Amino acid sequence: MSRRISYFKQKGDPYIFASGLGLVVALGMVTWIIAVILSRGLSFFWPGDLVQITTSGDETYLGELWAQEDAIQLDADGHKIPVKQTQLKIGNRDLYGMDFTWIRDKNITEQAYPENAVTFERLEYGNFYGFIEAVHSGDEQYGADHPELYTKARQAYRLAREKREQLRETQEAMTELSEPLTRLQREISLLEISPEGRTDEGLQQLEEMRRSAEQLEQEIADAYQALTEKYEKLYLEERGIYLTVRTAAGEEKELHLSEVVRFFRPNQMGVFAKSWHYAGKLWEFVADDPRESNTEGGVFPAIFGTVVMVLLMSIAVVPFGVMAAIYLNEYARQGPVTRLIRMSVNNLAGVPSIVFGVFGLGFFIYFVGGSIDQLFFSNKLPEPTFGTGGILWASLTLALLTLPVVVVATEEGLLAVPRANKEGALALGSTRWQMIRKVVLPNAMPGILTGLILAISRGAGEVAPLMITGVVKLAPTLALDTTFPFLHLDRKFMHLGFHIYDVGFQSPNVEAAKPMVYSTALLLIVIVVLLNIIAIYIRNNLRKKFKTSTF
Amino acid sequence: MEQNDTKQQHYESVYRADRWAKRFITAGGYGIIVSILAILLFLVYQSLPLGQNASLKHLLSYPVTDTGNQVLLTGSDSYMEIFYTLDQAGRLNFYHISDGSLVLAEKLPLGEGEKLLSAARGSLGRDVFAAGSDSGRVITAEISMTAVFSDSGRVIVPSLDIEETWTAESAGDSIPNHIEQLAFVQNEDLSRFWAWKDHVGNIHLRIYDADDEETYQHTLQDYFQNLTVTAMTLSHGGDNFIAGTQSGDLFWFKLDDFESPELKDTWKSTQNAISSLQYLLGDQALVIGDNQGAVESWFPVRTPANWLKFTQIHRFESHPAPVTQIYTSSRNRNFLTVDNKGNVKLHYATTGQTELNFRASDFPIQAAGLTPKSNGIIAVDGQRQFTLFQLNDPHPESTFQGLFGKVWYEGYPQPEFVWQSTGGSDEFEPKLSLIPLIFGTLKGTLYAMLFSVPIAIMAAIYVSQFSPHWLARAIKPTVEIMAALPSVVIGFLAGLYFSPLFEEYLMGFLSVFIFLPVVFILAVLIWRMVPEHHRTRLKPGTELALLIPVVSLAIAISIWLGPTIEAVFFGANFQQWIFTNLGVTYETRNSLVVGFALGFAVIPIIFTMAEDALTNVPESLSSASLALGASRWQTVRRVILPAASGGIFAATMLGLGRAVGETMIVLMATGNTPILDLNPFNGFRAMSACIAVEIPEAPVGGTLYRVLFFTALLLFVFTFVINTVSSMIGERLRKKYARF
Repeated sequence: MSRRISYFKQKGDPYIFASGLGLVVALGMVTWIIAVILSRGLSFFWPGDLVQITTSGDETYLGELWAQEDAIQLDADGHKIPVKQTQLKIGNRDLYGMDFTWIRDKNITEQAYPENAVTFERLEYGNFYGFIEAVHSGDEQYGADHPELYTKARQAYRLAREKREQLRETQEAMTELSEPLTRLQREISLLEISPEGRTDEGLQQLEEMRRSAEQLEQEIADAYQALTEKYEKLYLEERGIYLTVRTAAGEEKELHLSEVVRFFRPNQMGVFAKSWHYAGKLWEFVADDPRESNTEGGVFPAIFGTVVMVLLMSIAVVPFGVMAAIYLNEYARQGPVTRLIRMSVNNLAGVPSIVFGVFGLGFFIYFVGGSIDQLFFSNKLPEPTFGTGGILWASLTLALLTLPVVVVATEEGLLAVPRANKEGALALGSTRWQMIRKVVLPNAMPGILTGLILAISRGAGEVAPLMITGVVKLAPTLALDTTFPFLHLDRKFMHLGFHIYDVGFQSPNVEAAKPMVYSTALLLIVIVVLLNIIAIYIRNNLRKKFKTSTF
Repeated sequence: MEQNDTKQQHYESVYRADRWAKRFITAGGYGIIVSILAILLFLVYQSLPLGQNASLKHLLSYPVTDTGNQVLLTGSDSYMEIFYTLDQAGRLNFYHISDGSLVLAEKLPLGEGEKLLSAARGSLGRDVFAAGSDSGRVITAEISMTAVFSDSGRVIVPSLDIEETWTAESAGDSIPNHIEQLAFVQNEDLSRFWAWKDHVGNIHLRIYDADDEETYQHTLQDYFQNLTVTAMTLSHGGDNFIAGTQSGDLFWFKLDDFESPELKDTWKSTQNAISSLQYLLGDQALVIGDNQGAVESWFPVRTPANWLKFTQIHRFESHPAPVTQIYTSSRNRNFLTVDNKGNVKLHYATTGQTELNFRASDFPIQAAGLTPKSNGIIAVDGQRQFTLFQLNDPHPESTFQGLFGKVWYEGYPQPEFVWQSTGGSDEFEPKLSLIPLIFGTLKGTLYAMLFSVPIAIMAAIYVSQFSPHWLARAIKPTVEIMAALPSVVIGFLAGLYFSPLFEEYLMGFLSVFIFLPVVFILAVLIWRMVPEHHRTRLKPGTELALLIPVVSLAIAISIWLGPTIEAVFFGANFQQWIFTNLGVTYETRNSLVVGFALGFAVIPIIFTMAEDALTNVPESLSSASLALGASRWQTVRRVILPAASGGIFAATMLGLGRAVGETMIVLMATGNTPILDLNPFNGFRAMSACIAVEIPEAPVGGTLYRVLFFTALLLFVFTFVINTVSSMIGERLRKKYARF
């Protein structure tokens, strides 16, 4: 008697397929998210063509095509009716108030790509889209009829940039010149309000200081006067360089070239020119300061802050984590204590990051930082120095957070060191520490490195604990600079992850900020994924190395 | 010899290094336990004061000098350095609290033989008061106690300003014209409201409008008919007047129109005479004390007929004797009740708790009060004995009931779980119920787990059991990278990309759950038609290649058919359909989006752990099963899954822990409204996100700050338990399979 084998119940192939379904969905999700970030993050810097749209209402718009979608309109019965519409980035925020506009496709009567349409990237108010009508450069003037108007505009632009640079230099020279005086005046006012300033001795000192301040003032007066005159002259010259530009609607406006970051005619640019432009924008993104409440410009301070914070964190976490791992593997007798420690590591890894943040805020900032302020910075109180969020406290909080990562990875490295090597060293008479230093640590280096990299990647991507321990949306100064003591542990800092949250969710102009957020997210993901790939690679090689060893 | 010495030294240094290294490294190992204990203990230490009851310390008592027998009013400055007493003879004396020495003696301008009968404080923030005499005069004055800073420190300089004096018209021109009882309020616009009872028992009202400097006067006796008014109070804004009577009836007047007071409502609270009435901070809650010692709080609640009606909210611990005075705090919903036997009780109106109960004196207390910062209680008794208590009650609102129970907040129709920690004004009543936050966290976790657990476990089964080695090796790093994706990026995509997308293609996405199984089953049936010898030649791992078109097809069909389904079943507008049929508003950032987004964080964790558990099932078990003729699927179903079930459970627990603690995704992908509603189409406020948003602004050491620490502690304990359980399971499994 032959029994048929049930396809579903016994062979169960469909179930195998079904289990594969889970994997396909999971991989699909990763692919989706990466694809979205890649496409949006990378396309932002590509100079978009300028399209001029005339609508049936006889309105003309000039801008970049941003999106096309079906708007949902509700009819009288509340039914949805899709209506095709186009989103145009029309810029000119100072004139229109809004960067974007939606145009119903059925209203579009004419669509053109004017050759001489120009995109201006400005320091303020975002982009300006329009046409150059006239160039004013000091005494020279070129009207719309000039054949090489655009070239003239470029020349004027270079001149304006030069002037701006000179202005900046002059201003710096002025600050430098008056620096000793400013410092003296600050000391005077400090002394005036302190109790010492009211004693006889203090009064005498004050008098002396005032006298020397006057003397100083006289000494620099001439040079300062000369600089001021130079500055004023330059300023006038710089103001004299401007363009008269016209919007698509025909409105005219003066555009000072010193306030323009760059301008170009996207409709005339070839692929090569656009790529060059793209590279320039990419560089600006990585190396420049943010503008327009973080929605334009670059993210350099955020990158810098992230790097410094992560470095400080590594300095704190690696020695601690490695020591703990060595203790677990080389010193401790396996028993209740090691089990307790392993359980602690496990639990530490599972504690939500926000809890670390709360601990960091309460313990590091208010308790430790507050005490430091009481002891060493009491003259600045009630203005807190360390008793407020700062890069040191944020790093320490993250060090605690990433500790389990380092311990686990290091342990893996330590376990991979063959027993025979260690016993050989001990048999040759080395002490335990010598054995660890000479045999264990060098061999476990890849493990430690993996831990370090994973910790860095975790630290770079973590935001919640940083939000409450010292990250800010805009830090006026960097944590590491050229003024003494160079590394300012008490300063607040910017962070890529927080930048995403802040620009994407707390910016007044979310729509205009979106491209910036996507680019920042892409940058962060690239950093984190790269770090992880390196860590995975090192770890896999570690495994291979000892798999082939004959011990 | 010398060589030996250096050698010796060398050995010594080597051993010293060894010893030091051992000490250091051991310290490092224990450091981990220390750090986790430090976190736990610190969180506990910060949240412990929440559970602390109010405490009282008797600081000093002494007799006050130079004052008459009957003290009508007392108060102190905010630094608790100076207190004052107003006696029947109109003497206003200021004393140093520390030693009772007289600082300043002032006198109200009373006539010959004129006596004060009543006095009332008229503001929570300022020491403005009115006093009524036995010749019908009402004197309104303000005490200011200015802190002057000089080299030798802080000095409080008291002074008295008489604001105005007027004489009440006598009832029927009779000679005695007593102001027997007086209620007085000066509101923020500096308008003043007086209500008094004359010796005949008639109730009068006088309003001074500071805007147009006009005075209005009314007699309210007609409203009471033959009931005797025994207690009166005005709300601090001056727009409500409440009078309580001998029979326990209460009358509520609205004074919005200065020209004609309106009787809004009357009700009966007890059968006993009302002996004391007082409005609390916020002008909503009214405290009633009767002559049997009962203390109750009432506030207007909107009835279904949209009518405001005073409703009894709490009944506090009763006094053994008639309640004679009620004093409110200017900081929070605390108030003192005093009876005529010298007993004082401190209550907290929001929670209905009586926090302190003490005997301030063996004699009746004539005047008492909470200090301006609510950190002390002062009282003067019938023997002219002044007593100062230090009050330590930092967190009255955080009782167990307040944090986890339903509380009837002012302006709410019934007791509810509410989280609303900050409000616009000083009079705001903080609502710190943790239930909405805990509920929000669990809601987010629920949707995340519903979505992630099947996917992750299915994927783990496939990768560990059915996929070839090369595939597993490629997939594991991919999943690791998925785990490493910063949550802020996922959260930002969820908030700004997925949620608008979901809203637009909602029906399409929802119908994936229908079409994916349908298309899948169809595909399997088609696959079955392929001749068996072709089917069995399929290499492991190629299933995946076959599945990708199936899944894509299912998604495409769903998106394509979504609008049609919406049109046919849901009147072409699903959002509106759920609103009209289920009463649910669709929010763009909702729990479905969060569930999906949290999947990115949770799936890798569950997958990795579950995959490990499945792979670690000893090969001897599966080989035996296969050798007995079981199919691949039968082996997995009957042998491997049961063996690994503990590990899979542990993996799920770990995933749960991650979902509970995740902050940024939840913060960015939901609207963060604290609601109690399991509906997938609206959002929630999770504990973690709430901490992240609120703790930077919470005043250090305040109740909110500590409650947020307590929330963090709850998260910590929760994940601690989950982790411990899952690692214990893991350990047991390892031991179990060690023998194979």
